[in-house]
Amino acid sequence: MMMETDRKDGRTPNQPRMLSCSRNILHRAHGSASWSRGETKVLAAVYGPKAGTKKNEDPEKACIEVIWKPKTGQIGKAEKECEMIMKKTIQSICLLTVNPNTTTSVVVQVVNDDGALLPCAINAACAALVDAGIPMKHLAVAICCCVAEEGSVVLDPTKLEEQQMRGFAYLVFPNSALSALPKGSSLVDGEPLEHGIITSVTHGVMSVDEYLRCVGRGRAACAKLSDVLRRSLQKSE
Amino acid sequence: PSITLISAPEASMDSRLANTWRPTVNEKKFIETALASNLRIDDYNRKPIEYRQLTINFGRQLVQPYRERPNEGTMSIFTEFSPMADPSFELGSPGEAAIELGRMIDRGLRGSRAVDMESLCVLAGKLVWAIRIDLHILDNGGNLIDAANVAALAALLTFRRPECSLGGENGQEVVVHPPEVKDPLPLIVHHLPIAVTFGFFSTENTMVLDPTHSEEAVMAGRMTVTVNASGGICAIQKAGGVGVPQREIMRCLRLASQRAGLITKTIKDAVEVFNKERASRKIKRHSTSVAATVSVEDGITSLREGPHRQEKSNSNAEQTSEDSDSDVVTMQEKLSSEDVKPPTLLTDLAEPEEQQTSRVKKTTKDAVKSKKARTRGERRRAPT
Repeated sequence: MMMETDRKDGRTPNQPRMLSCSRNILHRAHGSASWSRGETKVLAAVYGPKAGTKKNEDPEKACIEVIWKPKTGQIGKAEKECEMIMKKTIQSICLLTVNPNTTTSVVVQVVNDDGALLPCAINAACAALVDAGIPMKHLAVAICCCVAEEGSVVLDPTKLEEQQMRGFAYLVFPNSALSALPKGSSLVDGEPLEHGIITSVTHGVMSVDEYLRCVGRGRAACAKLSDVLRRSLQKSE
Repeated sequence: PSITLISAPEASMDSRLANTWRPTVNEKKFIETALASNLRIDDYNRKPIEYRQLTINFGRQLVQPYRERPNEGTMSIFTEFSPMADPSFELGSPGEAAIELGRMIDRGLRGSRAVDMESLCVLAGKLVWAIRIDLHILDNGGNLIDAANVAALAALLTFRRPECSLGGENGQEVVVHPPEVKDPLPLIVHHLPIAVTFGFFSTENTMVLDPTHSEEAVMAGRMTVTVNASGGICAIQKAGGVGVPQREIMRCLRLASQRAGLITKTIKDAVEVFNKERASRKIKRHSTSVAATVSVEDGITSLREGPHRQEKSNSNAEQTSEDSDSDVVTMQEKLSSEDVKPPTLLTDLAEPEEQQTSRVKKTTKDAVKSKKARTRGERRRAPT
């Protein structure tokens, strides 16, 4: 049973692991990024836009293709599910009408999995898309929040913690392009853009209140993450 | 390589619409004429610009040995050309280039007896260690064979397998010790076979060392020589291509053995650095690796002492003292030049094998428990 402030590696429940991000690491790929949170590390590469769309895809728009490569072993259903979730997430942040009838491939390679893998991959893919210059509406930041047995919310679990928790949620929030917005400019239905949820995947059992608490905590953490990401992208351009 | 090529305008979206990359006629002519006027110096890229991830994992299972070699362990190499390495690499079963690469490295390592297989034997005729090398190609800058070879050697040198001992009534019970109890052992590697690739062009017997991707697209023939530092030739592979006079081949062999010495030294230095860093990390935290799925009840039938509880320790524990206000962020911008150093990358990427120690532990324990079921070596158990 986990106490409120007693995580194995000494973090507080609200404290995500150390973040490390590098871009433009591969030479052949049009865009590449590596993203690591603690021991979880993901490498993403983007090729595109390439001519033509796949079958059954709308030729009026750009098509996004995600290839998920696990660290070892065959590609199975879990990997296909991750691909699908990532594809839908990326589709919602990209401007698909700029390059119609093209395909952009995102290849995600899992280097190490120590919990919160899908958010890490989404963050890496987003950074790689920026590196490749794919037109996007805004960026996305992802985080994992889990609910412990007694109902407290813990951020960014390790694999061991993920398995011990009652439930966890992967949340992806939008990250708007401008750091200082005039009030009311990016409101959607009266709420700021950042309050929306692009993607939410949950595992396990949690009550509605707990889920909303997760969302609140996750959004706060993502706001900080957005700042960091924005600063680093601006610094390097 | 010292040639600066006219680079294709990669930045614009339009050029990317061409799905297959062909060197433009201009580029081809440029390379050929430059080579003809001897502009390209035989300068080996000590650090190949492309890198690949290498994992040795899940191969450390106890399996039945091959019938004709009951005293030796087994080693298998799996090559996977990831689509991220090159736009022309397709997902799916490995194509012939991938297979050829795997086979060449396999020949170099196995045929030359670089790794001591007999030390991998646990119970003669019954149980041996099986090593599996997974090569993931991440970035194709040309000359994949040499780079993959270096990666495989580095991984083999930094690999640690759990120690096991025989016990029980008739000496038939095998106990696999977790890394906390006994330090894992390195593999015994006798020598390092280094692959050196040459490219031949159709104009005037031009030969280059370590061809880049562009040169590979233009060259008319290739030869890979696998030598070790003491000058012994482990393998030569020249599959077709333009005919090369004998004295050119001899020249290549001499060049190769010179380069092999330099590369061996580089690998050894890098491995040294990595091992030191790994050892110092072990001292800092008391427990080494983490078990994601090992449960405490998973015991082996025979006697085993030592800490049963697996402590989770974050390798960043000593570095993070931050609170949620200041996220310590290390942003590293690595420029796409030849400065990318494989040792650092190998360190990053080979480090996770620590984690696999415990993951594989579960598999090996299962293998021991179900010894009678004769678990197959290559089948991987998916951790849930």
